[in-house]
Amino acid sequence: MIDWDLAGAPLVVAIGAVVALMLDAFIGARSWRWPSLAGGVALGLAGLELLGPRGPDGLGLGLSLVIVLGTLMVLLSAAVMDHEDSMPPGELHFLLLASAAGAMCMVVARDFVTLIVALELLSLPSIAMVGLRRADIGAARGAWTFFLVSVVSTAVTLMGISLVYGFTGSLGFAEVLSRLGDSTAPDRAVVAAVVITVVGLLFKIGAVPFHMWIPDTYRGASIPVAAYLSVVSKAGAVGALVLVLGVPFGGYAAAWAPMIAVVAALTMTVGNIGALVQRDAVGVLAWSSIAQAGFILAPMVALGVAGGARAAVQYLAIYAVANLVAFTMIGLVRRRWGGTTFRHLTGLARRDPLGGACLSLALLTLAGFPPAVIGLVAKYAVLRPVVEAGYGWLALVMAVNVALGLAYYLPMMARILSQEGDEITVVEPSPSPPHAVGVARTSMVLGTLALVATSAYPDLILVPMR
Amino acid sequence: MNLLVIAVFLPALVGVVALASRHALRGAVAARAGVAVSIVSLVLLAAVWATRDAAAFAGEVDVRWIDAIGVRWHLGIDGISFPLTLMTAFLSALTCWSLIDDAPQEQTPDDPAEPSPDPEQSVVMLVVLVLVIQSAALGVFSALDLIVFFIFFELALVPMWFVINRWGDPHDREGRRVAATRFLLFTVLGSALMLVGFIAIALSAGSLQIPELAAQSPVLTGTVPLLGAVAIAVGLAVKAPVWPLHIWLPDAHSAAPTVGSVLLAGVFLKLGTYGLIRVLVAIAPEPSATLAPYLATFAVVGIIYASLACLRQSDLKRLIAYSSVGHMGFVVLGVATMSPVGIAAAVYASVAHGLITGMLFFHAGGLKRRYGSATFAVLGRGLYARAPWLAVSFAFAAIASLGLPGLAGFWGEMLSLRSAYEVGPVLDRGLAWTLLGVAAVGVVLTSAYVVVMLRRLVQGVPTPDDRDLDLTGEVRSEVGISVLLVASIVVLGLAPGLLVGVIEPSLPAVLGGGR
Repeated sequence: MIDWDLAGAPLVVAIGAVVALMLDAFIGARSWRWPSLAGGVALGLAGLELLGPRGPDGLGLGLSLVIVLGTLMVLLSAAVMDHEDSMPPGELHFLLLASAAGAMCMVVARDFVTLIVALELLSLPSIAMVGLRRADIGAARGAWTFFLVSVVSTAVTLMGISLVYGFTGSLGFAEVLSRLGDSTAPDRAVVAAVVITVVGLLFKIGAVPFHMWIPDTYRGASIPVAAYLSVVSKAGAVGALVLVLGVPFGGYAAAWAPMIAVVAALTMTVGNIGALVQRDAVGVLAWSSIAQAGFILAPMVALGVAGGARAAVQYLAIYAVANLVAFTMIGLVRRRWGGTTFRHLTGLARRDPLGGACLSLALLTLAGFPPAVIGLVAKYAVLRPVVEAGYGWLALVMAVNVALGLAYYLPMMARILSQEGDEITVVEPSPSPPHAVGVARTSMVLGTLALVATSAYPDLILVPMR
Repeated sequence: MNLLVIAVFLPALVGVVALASRHALRGAVAARAGVAVSIVSLVLLAAVWATRDAAAFAGEVDVRWIDAIGVRWHLGIDGISFPLTLMTAFLSALTCWSLIDDAPQEQTPDDPAEPSPDPEQSVVMLVVLVLVIQSAALGVFSALDLIVFFIFFELALVPMWFVINRWGDPHDREGRRVAATRFLLFTVLGSALMLVGFIAIALSAGSLQIPELAAQSPVLTGTVPLLGAVAIAVGLAVKAPVWPLHIWLPDAHSAAPTVGSVLLAGVFLKLGTYGLIRVLVAIAPEPSATLAPYLATFAVVGIIYASLACLRQSDLKRLIAYSSVGHMGFVVLGVATMSPVGIAAAVYASVAHGLITGMLFFHAGGLKRRYGSATFAVLGRGLYARAPWLAVSFAFAAIASLGLPGLAGFWGEMLSLRSAYEVGPVLDRGLAWTLLGVAAVGVVLTSAYVVVMLRRLVQGVPTPDDRDLDLTGEVRSEVGISVLLVASIVVLGLAPGLLVGVIEPSLPAVLGGGR
């Protein structure tokens, strides 16, 4: 039975994907505008449908909104690539929207088959997006790594799901929950099935020790696609993980909660240490997004007892806005100054005061530091359920990682605000810069305004994500 | 609108305006604006205090802010925080004043490769950072909600990191970066731990409001509040600092520019000691009582350690920095007795230390600017002969620092020792009196290093230097700052009742009298 109320919004986005591809095919001349317009309209309609009276509620709504708004922002910021002949606009928008439709299905899935299909719909287009830039060996390598990891992780998850099916004879989340309770299967075997199923999703989130694909893939991908992977793709996986751990496997929390705690601790620590040694903005953001995944995972140890799911989604929403602002600005830096190394960032605020301010605020939010109060509130939101669930050691690890994170966010910010820096010549290869750059800048400024507004009134973002 | 809120936010607001219009501003203009706004802030604080009514907190605001996690926008000052807010506004007015005709310290003769940015811009930026730090510190001292307290606590860090990292010791680029980063990592780690502790306390008590937590009955007991209190204590001990968590301090204080050193010693350390009173002892008395003996012991070890370290320093700024660790030891000892006398001692000693050490750092900074270094080898001997007024003023501050009766430093240390003598409600008599004895040795050692320092620096056969001439052409602000600080140190020394009278009525509420 198809619940059209839930399937409607993803379907609108999927139709938008096809329209974008068709427009590109029929218009003939290479045009960025039409596919982009089709995609924007589709996302807007999907957003309206979500907010309408028959949309999903609770966490499903929060996650779907993160996905729709995140994709919209990626779509706007992707305009900075409109001068690259090796980037086909129709295909890019098609893949972007198709993948977003997958993510939206994933967070409202109620059975394992839908989950797997949605996972594939999310993954396959994003793999293609990573490798989309023609004649780029880095992109091909990134896509290849991503492909292998994706296939393996899906296969592992499938294996777990088939075990679960074997124990319960059902694939619906609610039935599995009730039947696992009174199944006669040996406890250890069920725990193994739970762990295997979850491992596949952890791959997708990029949790340690399954994180190695992220730096390679992000570096190979174009910057907006990396932004997409770090936010929308992650939101889908987080939603699926919250659902799967909370509903069908809710009875086995004693088994998976310690595992999630260890994985979260490792993920944030390894991610932060990796970020410390990077000399390139994309590298920093790639590793820092691993660390942030650890912070998103941590409250899940308290899914049942203390509103852990809510905290994870609240943190994810705040992280999504800040990370997209940062990636958009990095994309602009690359377009205007031809690179993303620290040398290109030095003195950025002098060359582009508004952009420098936006990027600095985004970094402060990610670090969780005032004046970006919202980042600090996000850290509080995820720490609280961890402490409440009695994971004191995990809270300590998180505290150490807050400090570690600041150790690279702040020097990067100091570089941006520095008065020094080599004179960097503007490389503006495109003949018509203002329009595309303006679109991307507008989306970045809107994102920053959202950060400012939520810093003054954190309830603006915390309350809808409950 | 509430006057207290204006007093807290006005400096930061003016700072932001100055930042936005920095290209149109000259450094001296920005610095004058900084002095003016700090004085306005000071007057507003005094007005809030003068118009207080019978309520526990003057100028209290309490409005809903973040409903989702129960945070309220809750500010107010009482007798514990009012003296510290006044001192903060006073010191930042003085630091801004010192920037008016202070030659920008950014020229880097040692490193020609480093481009030297526009000095006017540099002064404007420095004033902006000082003002933001001032707002953050005033916010910490007046916050009555744990999360609001935490936000202000963190807000002060990043500007201070910039102050040390960019305006620090112009002759040691790498050193100041290392010092700034170490300062940041230590304090952030501490404050992150403190946040975990706040969560543990708030979950156990079901509130984030400091007055509610302080008045709750029955008091919190059990493992979770105890662990929370440990986390808070460690976090604040980094900031205060309590030995052995002080290791970030000497480098940061000596690498920072004059304004940075003054604010670090005068204001930043007080955030830690004030926190110990307000968000440890007051809100978790039972767990604090368990921790008190350890805190007191570490504090006294710190007093001895710091005075011994001071005897071995060859750099004036490092010496003053280490002496801060010792003075903070007396403050923490007072807090750890958890008695009215001890808390009053802590507040008194905090204010006195802010004024005295601030004055020492102003003079050390002045010397360093003229001679390019603050090591005794470069400064030479016989400053009495070479720069009479500066030497006298410096010697005055140094003697105030050793706790001469009749000056501000005396009362804080005396009251702190008395609180140990009276033992208080939580310490064991044997331990308290042992600590008292050791701390008394610390007092002797403190006198020793101050005398040695004076002997090395201001007395002896003058070693003339061709830069001595500069010393006679004193900077106007230096004289003015010195006069104001001397006056306030003498007043607080001769009339301790002025300050004790303010502190005393608020002591019962902090120590659970409301229960």
